[in-house]
Amino acid sequence: MKKAAIISNIKQAKDIQEYIDAYLLPLKDLSINYPNTFSLEDIKKLKDLNKEIFIILNKNIHNSEVEKLKKALIKIEKLNISGIFFYDIAIPNLKQKLNLKVPLVWSEEHLTTNYGTVNYWYDKNVKYAYLSSELTKREIDEIKNNTKSKLFVNVFGYIPMFTSQRHLVNNYLETFNLKSKHNNFIEKEGKKYPIIDTNLGTTVYSNYILNALDIDLKVDYLVFNSTFINDKDFIEVLKNENKFPKETGFLYKETIYKVK
Amino acid sequence: MKKPELLAPAGDLERLKIAFAYGADAVYIGGAFNLRANADNFKLEEIEKGVEYAHKLNKKVYVTVNIAMHNKELKKIKDYLLKLDKIHVDAIIVSDPKIIELAKETNLEIHLSTQASTLNKEAIEFWKNEGVSRIVLARECTKEDIIDIKNNIDIELEVFIHGAMCASYSGRCVLSNFLTNRDSNRGGCSQICRWDFDLYDENNHLKGEKPFTFCTKDLSLAKYIPELINMKVDSLKIEGRMRSIYYIATVVKVYRKLIDGYCNNTKNYEYNLKYEGILKKVANRDSIAQFFNGNYGKDVQYYNGRQEITNQDFLGLVLEYDKKTKLAKVEQRNYFKKGDKVEIFGPDKDFNFKIEEIYDEDKKPIEIVRHPKQIVYLKMPKEVSVNDMMKIC
Repeated sequence: MKKAAIISNIKQAKDIQEYIDAYLLPLKDLSINYPNTFSLEDIKKLKDLNKEIFIILNKNIHNSEVEKLKKALIKIEKLNISGIFFYDIAIPNLKQKLNLKVPLVWSEEHLTTNYGTVNYWYDKNVKYAYLSSELTKREIDEIKNNTKSKLFVNVFGYIPMFTSQRHLVNNYLETFNLKSKHNNFIEKEGKKYPIIDTNLGTTVYSNYILNALDIDLKVDYLVFNSTFINDKDFIEVLKNENKFPKETGFLYKETIYKVK
Repeated sequence: MKKPELLAPAGDLERLKIAFAYGADAVYIGGAFNLRANADNFKLEEIEKGVEYAHKLNKKVYVTVNIAMHNKELKKIKDYLLKLDKIHVDAIIVSDPKIIELAKETNLEIHLSTQASTLNKEAIEFWKNEGVSRIVLARECTKEDIIDIKNNIDIELEVFIHGAMCASYSGRCVLSNFLTNRDSNRGGCSQICRWDFDLYDENNHLKGEKPFTFCTKDLSLAKYIPELINMKVDSLKIEGRMRSIYYIATVVKVYRKLIDGYCNNTKNYEYNLKYEGILKKVANRDSIAQFFNGNYGKDVQYYNGRQEITNQDFLGLVLEYDKKTKLAKVEQRNYFKKGDKVEIFGPDKDFNFKIEEIYDEDKKPIEIVRHPKQIVYLKMPKEVSVNDMMKIC
């Protein structure tokens, strides 16, 4: 089982290199839910660290962004990386049309929830899947037992739970003539949820840091997300000197959908 | 000029019939695996009845099967699709690609749900090659996006024209999962986006005159119907499978008139502002054109402290009419009394009158109708029909 880290800066990449197997790198302008992103130039530099590199390209692609996406994919192909995490279906379509060799990771965030669809993508030459954080351990085990696809699962970090094109913080501030610096969060019933509003829209995160490192998940990659975690703490987590409280998210908590 | 399909929501058989009576060309309904798990969804035998009813009218029924499946749904879905195929539904609306793969083994026509958040021509080309015949576009599409997509790919496009909006990209919100343990992508959405929150900047409470919320105004593209028709959009969709028969009748009738008004007299068509007034009266929130005009700034937000309007204009539904006695059998929906000035509206009629005579079920005169669903008889000044509705004037 490999350790993959969603990192926040180049220095952090170097600091953690001995503790991880793969970097997951959000690409500037084409990824969302990550306040820190990387340019293709940055990513090129990280190639020297001799780790697997996956680029996260998880933005919903608007029609006007197709050309930008196409150019980015052609450049990424030349980097010879381990794969691209995709959300928008434009990416597998362009990969086929442009005859690109770069592997893909099915990464539709909250929608990667069953082995049938993991295998649908596997049959289309998408040999990896990044599973939803809203699955139970039992469901993850069942997926693993029913697919050849290599699986990524979150085990540490804040979890994005809402993504909008709208600028929800800025719209509120503008409407009521308020000023804000940064580090915003929203609160309900004593629980605090980080919220960020970037040029690409708004993301709201879980009120807790998922910390499920000691759960026996038989997947291929355990994902550690450094978003909002300071570098020192993040290294400690990767070194198995984890001081964060245990939090298993949905791993042992099945959601319901029909109330009556 | 090709007239687009007017597609209405239907939460049950009654609403399906009302939608067709008021001018819908097709309805979409929820069955076993849809994103309104807590609505009064259709059982298979009800879907069959709805389809038979629709086909007699030469109209269509689409069934939403648009959940993101977990493993346990995966085991049941094939059998369900085979049953839908057997009762000849006109299409299924799906978002999970595995369902598309399974549906291809049947004769079912496949529409891609807005839940798939399809925004661009490359993604649409992919789905077209997968056998999808229609794309329900993401609500974030602008008019320029729609034009470009239509000009570049030969596939049916369905566009939302009226109703409530998700605050997020569809499919990218699991607030319900985290805050209420209900799975939003399997129909359990508990509309957390309409809740109020306190917004902070580090330790400072950023407090406006109204609380922070994600809530947006509703969508209304009434003014843009001619543009949508000229853009050759194939289907114009109204949101709201959980809305009342009154809402459906009113909204469907307005859009039917707008579509027919433009298609039947393109040169002399003028947008009639009275329709906006009618739509506003049945709405819970203000409406705006949203992303269609590329607008997602502060004007689209709805800060109202959760004080949404409960509409009490709908007074009664006509169940029968006796031409000889001129008495209409009416089922009460809100309080009314003798002397009230009211309006009768139906698919092709509108008239006002003052209530002069009311009788109870035993035909004894009464003054006030105050009980929900109370059956009464009203003397009508003009002929009315089954499914006509009475509202406050």
